[in-house]
Amino acid sequence: MHSTRTSDVFTREIVRSKLLAIASEMGVVLARTSMSPIVYEVLDFACGLADAEGRVIAQDNGLCLFTGTFRPQIESILRRHPVAAMRPGDIYMTNGGAGGGTHANDVAIVIPVFAGERMIAFSISVTHWMELGGKVLGSLAPDSTEVFQEGMQFPQIRLAREGVIDEEIVEIIRANVRLPIMTIGDLTAGIAAGRIAERRLDEIIGRYGLDTTLETFEEILDHGERLALDALKRVPPGVYEATDAIDGDGITTDPIPVRVRVEVTPDRMICDFTGSSPQVQGPVNCARGALMSACKTIFKGIVAPQAPSNEGLFRPLEVICPEGTVFTAIRPRPTGWYFEGSAFATELVWKALAPVLPQRLSAGSYVSLAACYIGGVHANGEYWVMGTPQDGGWGASIDDDGESGLIATTDGDTFNYPAEVVEHAFPLAMECNRLNVEAGGGAGRQRGGFGTIREYRVTSPEGASLLASLGRSATVPWGIDGGIDGTINYWEVVRTNGERQSGGRVTGLSLQPGDVVRLVTGNGGGWGDPGERPVESLFDDLLDGYLSPGELERHYGRAAADVLALENAR
Amino acid sequence: MSGDIRVAVDIGGTFTDVVAFDGASGRIWEAKASTVPADFARGVTDALAAGEVDLSAVAAFIHGTTVVINAITQRRGVKTALVTTRGFRDALEIGRGNRPDMYNLRFRKPAPFVPRRHRFEIDERTGPNGDEIRPVDLAAFGEIADRCREDGIEAVAVCLLHAYANPDHERQAAGRLRELLPGIAVTASTDVTREWREYERTSTAVLNAYVQPILDRYLANLEERLAAAGMDAPMFAMRSNGGTGSFQAAREQPIQLIESGPVAGITGAALMGEVIGEENLIALDIGGTTAKCALIEGGEVPVTTEYKLEWSPLSPGYPVKAPVVDIVEIGAGGGSIVHFDAGGALRIGPISAGADPGPACYGRGGINPTVTDALVVSGLLDADRFLGGRLKADASLARAAFEPIAARLGVDVDAAAAGVLALMAEQTVDALKLISIRRGHDPRDFSLVAFGGGGPVHACAIAAELGARRVIIPPFPATFSAWGMLMTRPRVDRVQTRVLSLDRLDPAAVEALFAEMEWSSREELVRQGLDPDAIGPSRRSLDMRYKGQEHTVQAPIDGGAFTLDGLPQRFHERHRRRYTFALEDTPIELVNLRTITVADIPLPAIADAEPVEGARPRMRRVDIRHAAGGAAGKIEIPVHDRGALAPGTHLAGPLLVEEAATTTLVLPGQSLEVDRVGNLVISW
Repeated sequence: MHSTRTSDVFTREIVRSKLLAIASEMGVVLARTSMSPIVYEVLDFACGLADAEGRVIAQDNGLCLFTGTFRPQIESILRRHPVAAMRPGDIYMTNGGAGGGTHANDVAIVIPVFAGERMIAFSISVTHWMELGGKVLGSLAPDSTEVFQEGMQFPQIRLAREGVIDEEIVEIIRANVRLPIMTIGDLTAGIAAGRIAERRLDEIIGRYGLDTTLETFEEILDHGERLALDALKRVPPGVYEATDAIDGDGITTDPIPVRVRVEVTPDRMICDFTGSSPQVQGPVNCARGALMSACKTIFKGIVAPQAPSNEGLFRPLEVICPEGTVFTAIRPRPTGWYFEGSAFATELVWKALAPVLPQRLSAGSYVSLAACYIGGVHANGEYWVMGTPQDGGWGASIDDDGESGLIATTDGDTFNYPAEVVEHAFPLAMECNRLNVEAGGGAGRQRGGFGTIREYRVTSPEGASLLASLGRSATVPWGIDGGIDGTINYWEVVRTNGERQSGGRVTGLSLQPGDVVRLVTGNGGGWGDPGERPVESLFDDLLDGYLSPGELERHYGRAAADVLALENAR
Repeated sequence: MSGDIRVAVDIGGTFTDVVAFDGASGRIWEAKASTVPADFARGVTDALAAGEVDLSAVAAFIHGTTVVINAITQRRGVKTALVTTRGFRDALEIGRGNRPDMYNLRFRKPAPFVPRRHRFEIDERTGPNGDEIRPVDLAAFGEIADRCREDGIEAVAVCLLHAYANPDHERQAAGRLRELLPGIAVTASTDVTREWREYERTSTAVLNAYVQPILDRYLANLEERLAAAGMDAPMFAMRSNGGTGSFQAAREQPIQLIESGPVAGITGAALMGEVIGEENLIALDIGGTTAKCALIEGGEVPVTTEYKLEWSPLSPGYPVKAPVVDIVEIGAGGGSIVHFDAGGALRIGPISAGADPGPACYGRGGINPTVTDALVVSGLLDADRFLGGRLKADASLARAAFEPIAARLGVDVDAAAAGVLALMAEQTVDALKLISIRRGHDPRDFSLVAFGGGGPVHACAIAAELGARRVIIPPFPATFSAWGMLMTRPRVDRVQTRVLSLDRLDPAAVEALFAEMEWSSREELVRQGLDPDAIGPSRRSLDMRYKGQEHTVQAPIDGGAFTLDGLPQRFHERHRRRYTFALEDTPIELVNLRTITVADIPLPAIADAEPVEGARPRMRRVDIRHAAGGAAGKIEIPVHDRGALAPGTHLAGPLLVEEAATTTLVLPGQSLEVDRVGNLVISW
């Protein structure tokens, strides 16, 4: 590879290493300075560098949800504030679907970086602010019907001019949120992360020169594109389609039909969501930025799962979707629970391509982040809330069983809550944390992984209430190539008198002392004809209790006694 | 025993190293033999024989072994069962549910060490404060024991909910299992750790059980062989906490030996820092496949109980809640292969040529260019005196391996090798910076102690770029781990989870907990045969956090009876340093109590180095543009034999110092001083 660039390849590699390190250092600074557990423990943030056009050069993110919103967010700022009007020391901020992002809670802090008079890059951090005002504490009402119920909006505002922060804006924020110390802490953390990037970039330019730095930007983007194109060559060209349904918008349980048409050519992948449902009343809508992020997530999973993210990697990807659909909602439609919608954009492309990309993609999984909150008020008036996403079952793949009890695609390095910690922190007793083997489903030559069952008994004498948003609560995870479908996600409340209630999404269900909340996630889909599952695998499944004799007969057409006899005879 | 010889044996992948110290003469010497994987004890006796160690004169034998970690990583442990609280047998399989390899849409977790069929549930319940809610259903154990016998189970782990708060149920369960299954190794989770989080504790107990019979057999064999050879000395195993424990203690808690070898180099670095009055050190160990580092602040070797076996940025690994020196892997080693990725970019590692076939220059059939080959091409490693002359390297093979790289880049072979060395240094520097910053430190406040076969040749370039204060290359850098072992003391670490609000806790109750931890630590050391008078007071610390947080910050507390005086202030200050802010109005929670108890045995005094007759350096043509900038091409620089450098020697770079198995490069503008104990100290 003889490049036309004037700097040498080793210097560019060194600069590249330093640029990636900047993104990581931003993450460290952000996690260290934020006062919000959702940042430093759930890693609900992303940060990085983009060039002067907003093309991402380096990125550090803890969740998949943030894969692709940087560019639309920076572009939304550029539409209001042309480069010519930007000055060194300026700080811009934007949030929500209308600002190129996800929901109001995810606030982007964008700082233009200058070399002398020339604007050459942006640093950007996006952080889930814990509290932004709105209808409920935490700003995420599952039954909101307009964006105004979801907290403050920052429509591409200039927070600082030439190094001077507009304290009036800070005061407005402080006055409109329930936890001002934490919220202002998030703001400060975002600024600190952006400033460190500015300083480091300045050091690089000082040492290696502006030309080499900008050439490295180009080289990073070109390299990303080459990686993607190389991988795309291995995807069979063609047109692939999939349909699915999102189970309810939080207001009604009506299915929301969605669809995709994926066209793959040797150097392009076009995902067209035309024909998907119009935007809905409840907050499971997502806006275009989140749709882009969802598509980039699956695209990266296909072409270069372990490579650093940059805009070059996504050059071959094109996303088409008319305005005003459930994937391209327009303000003031709510997008608080956008991840319950955008997860289905990822899922559709996955479903369309899985049959032809078995080395990269598995059968259908439980999809939904299955976020649930159990909370209440102690006798002394203090609030408590235990909030956690649930792990679930992933689909089988062509040569491997599916994984059990794993966090959904929207998240990433996200940890579940241990029983010993739950019982210390909240008036709840955790009765079990086990695999959802009883539900069956997911049979196949390779079987789907199991979801989980977690039971929380309310021990607070004051009772509690339940808020849950579990998608895939009516339509099941899909099997492939004769593999059997998986099972649904649901919440269930078992009252002390034995009465039971269950569903998918619920807000403010009242719980009495002794009531048990069961959070159940589904099993992933199977791959291949169950009849082809090797007898030794069935034998193991029986011994391990993954398969009951009844399920064995029903899906695999074998009697337990026969399997045991066959295997023992070997 | 009649003599005063202290001997340390470190079994590595290729060589078994022995470092011995004779208290009578003050002499320290080293020896090596090939490791014999089929019979490690043989490698040990061979190495001792090669070093002509008088076994009858040995007063203490310290052993670093990879038996535990190898048995686990090669899945050669025993068939293990698990007993848990009803409802939680799948906790081991579910783990924490995280997907570090985020974009891998076929992600699999590491498989559990106990299959579901051998994970048994029993009725019992202890509450979070240690109160009994439901007694243990001891009658249920008959059936479990029958299953274990039928299925040939050789070890059983027990982990019950909230046992860290009250281990009584686990003790009942383990006791019952020992009665019913004589000869079977039983591990209760609280035998190893008293920290909360059931998945992590279960994983720890399972791994301990899984290797217990293996380590037991290995140590028994070693004891027998050394006794037969005439040795009658107390035997200690190097623990992952940077101290030692008796062989008997190792048998009970084999998991404490998980990083038995690598940590000794870090403790060695801290000790060397103490000798020369340097408290803030970055210990950098560059070996064949990876580089490892640890940050030593204020002379304190950092020990964590957050260790994860087989962890990588892409895998959650297996948690081990045993105290382990906080070592971080930071990238490439000498054998790391230089290649182009699918997008055409140059990369170093993570694939390694390993020991076999090794770098191309070894001439054992390796054709891929490695970092070591780049060093040979540049002339920094002398092909004729490779590994202290034990191996001859072939420079032409190294050059040939770099041809395709150079051709694709459109440069000559020398430029390609120089570029690779520059990139290697840069990536190491970026990783070191990030680790320092993440832990709230500025690397410019630290000195770099470099060892391992590859440390010294890269150290000066790395330190200069990092802005570190200076570089220290200790004596015996290539066998520094064994040297570190010689210098360690018996040590017991305890951690006890007790979640209490600081504004409501009773200091007397906390004092009682500390006292119990200290008593049990002393008792363990005494059981190991140590003199009670030599056991110092325990060092105490507390893990605390703001209410609502998950993570904790560790703060040391003063000796004497526990008091709350000044504690909140100390926590705020620590939290501010680690996270840049304090929440002074938020209630503070105590989470863990920690103690470190050390037996103060006499260690070898590090003697001043002997004066030597200065020999004239040779001259060699080397290419150092990767570190020194400047024009292409080779320049002549002096090459000194380390053995010929007397204490007090001052030299100006550029220069090389050669010794057995390693070479130190000092750059132009840097100066080298040999200190009184023989360290090479490079500053600028």
